[in-house]
Amino acid sequence: MSLNYEDMSWSDVRDQFRKWREENGRHSEDVVQLWVAVLEDKLHKTGNERHLILEQVIIAALDTARFDIAAQCTKQLSIEFPGSLRVMKFKAMRYEALEQYEDAEEVLNAIIAKDETNAAPRKRKIAILKACGNRLEAIKELNEYLKKFMSDQEAWHELCSLYLAEAEYGKAAFCMEEVLLHNPHSHLIHQRLAEIRYTMGGVENIETARTYYSQALKLNPQNLRALYGLYLSCSFLANSRAVSSKRKESQKLAQWALEQVSAHTVKLSPIEHNDKLIATLDNAFGSLDIKAN
Amino acid sequence: MTELLIDPDIRVWVFLPIVLITFLVGIVRHYVSILISTQKKAELTQIQDSQAMIRARLLRENGKYLSAQSFSMRKNFFNNEETGYFKTQKRAPVAQNSSAMLTDMVKGNFINVLPMVIIGGWINWMFSGFVTTKVPFPLTLRFKPMLQRGVELASLDAAWVSSASWYFLNVFGLRSIYTLVLGENNHADQTQAQADAMTGAAMTMPQDPKAAFKAEWEALEITEYHSALKNIDADMLSIASASSQ
Repeated sequence: MSLNYEDMSWSDVRDQFRKWREENGRHSEDVVQLWVAVLEDKLHKTGNERHLILEQVIIAALDTARFDIAAQCTKQLSIEFPGSLRVMKFKAMRYEALEQYEDAEEVLNAIIAKDETNAAPRKRKIAILKACGNRLEAIKELNEYLKKFMSDQEAWHELCSLYLAEAEYGKAAFCMEEVLLHNPHSHLIHQRLAEIRYTMGGVENIETARTYYSQALKLNPQNLRALYGLYLSCSFLANSRAVSSKRKESQKLAQWALEQVSAHTVKLSPIEHNDKLIATLDNAFGSLDIKAN
Repeated sequence: MTELLIDPDIRVWVFLPIVLITFLVGIVRHYVSILISTQKKAELTQIQDSQAMIRARLLRENGKYLSAQSFSMRKNFFNNEETGYFKTQKRAPVAQNSSAMLTDMVKGNFINVLPMVIIGGWINWMFSGFVTTKVPFPLTLRFKPMLQRGVELASLDAAWVSSASWYFLNVFGLRSIYTLVLGENNHADQTQAQADAMTGAAMTMPQDPKAAFKAEWEALEITEYHSALKNIDADMLSIASASSQ
């Protein structure tokens, strides 16, 4: 998205920031640029929202390595809230961004010592481990964390990706199921769980994958990835040693999914008259498939 | 019956001051209670317990989206006779009269009951015996003790309101004004606090984790696994065959 900084008044910027906050979007570069160009001098006009804006800007500044802005905003916050743990967390994050991990950890430990129920510094410590590339240690710590904060779905999600990076698919599937319990109506989570199951392989897992792909498609019929996944898992099952009626069903479903995939692709692709291109690609992949088998 | 005419000075020196005083006292109460109330600090085990409860509840509600194996695995984690979470976690029962709770109660009384007594008594003493205003509709005699506290005149029409009653009407009627001025969840309204005190809601004990665990254990124990995705393959097939025809 391109924003015209000159035309935006401070209230437009404030509304834009608010929108990004609500959507959980970081848009770090935009935030920093808008902050410098427009909002910095008008901060006092935003009332009580200014603390939230400052926090947003600090994170954006750390993302874009503008440590001067981050330090300045943190200072403003710490003048208003001396000794606040929340502000201390930003100091730790600044150390993290500067890759001074020992200092960051020291600050985080101090926060935990003051308020041991605070989840954020614990998560940041795990983030440090991850940043150091110490994935196994991060997994261990995250498991310890999840024993205490069991219904933190963000943490489950993170643990899932860590396990995926370690190719521990069974454990990753467990974590994803935990996220699914929190959001049973998100097609993306169903799709992700199906992908993990499909990757694990084996008839049973792929049957589960097919179920979850179907659920994802039911929740969002436009989900191309789930459609293709359904095609893959069904065509695997069609070639497996299942009962012939089941094989037929799978064959049929695979056929349908493939038709849907190509219909969607033809519709959505920016290239015009792409049906010939797709047909060529189809043929190419078809011959690949045979070789793979 | 001849119309009663009230001295305009009563309006300026009794009617309006009572409104103003009740309103300002409410505002002061709001800020005082913010000043002296301490934030309740939860303990780590409390948080852990509540998070475990949430997880178990989610399992009960949304477990139908998991596979049978995943569901029973989680159920076993919570409910296994020997190693289950709800069986092994022993929590000490919450102390009934801890000092923190006592100070809380004293503080609550300090900001709820004390001003009510003092201001109410003062208003009764200062503005006693005035007829301040009249409600614009006729009322039966039954309303006389309610609206004419402090003015015991048998011949006065029930629609007239005495100063003491006007104060009480204000105490109960300013709630929406406070919401307007101070926002939701303000501490200015004493009637709410008193209603809480009556029902005991103000002194909600921190839940006894043992009892809560037992309840959750029972609820989970009787939850049976029914897959919500059982028919999804057939559904998909029917969609597929419908579109292929």
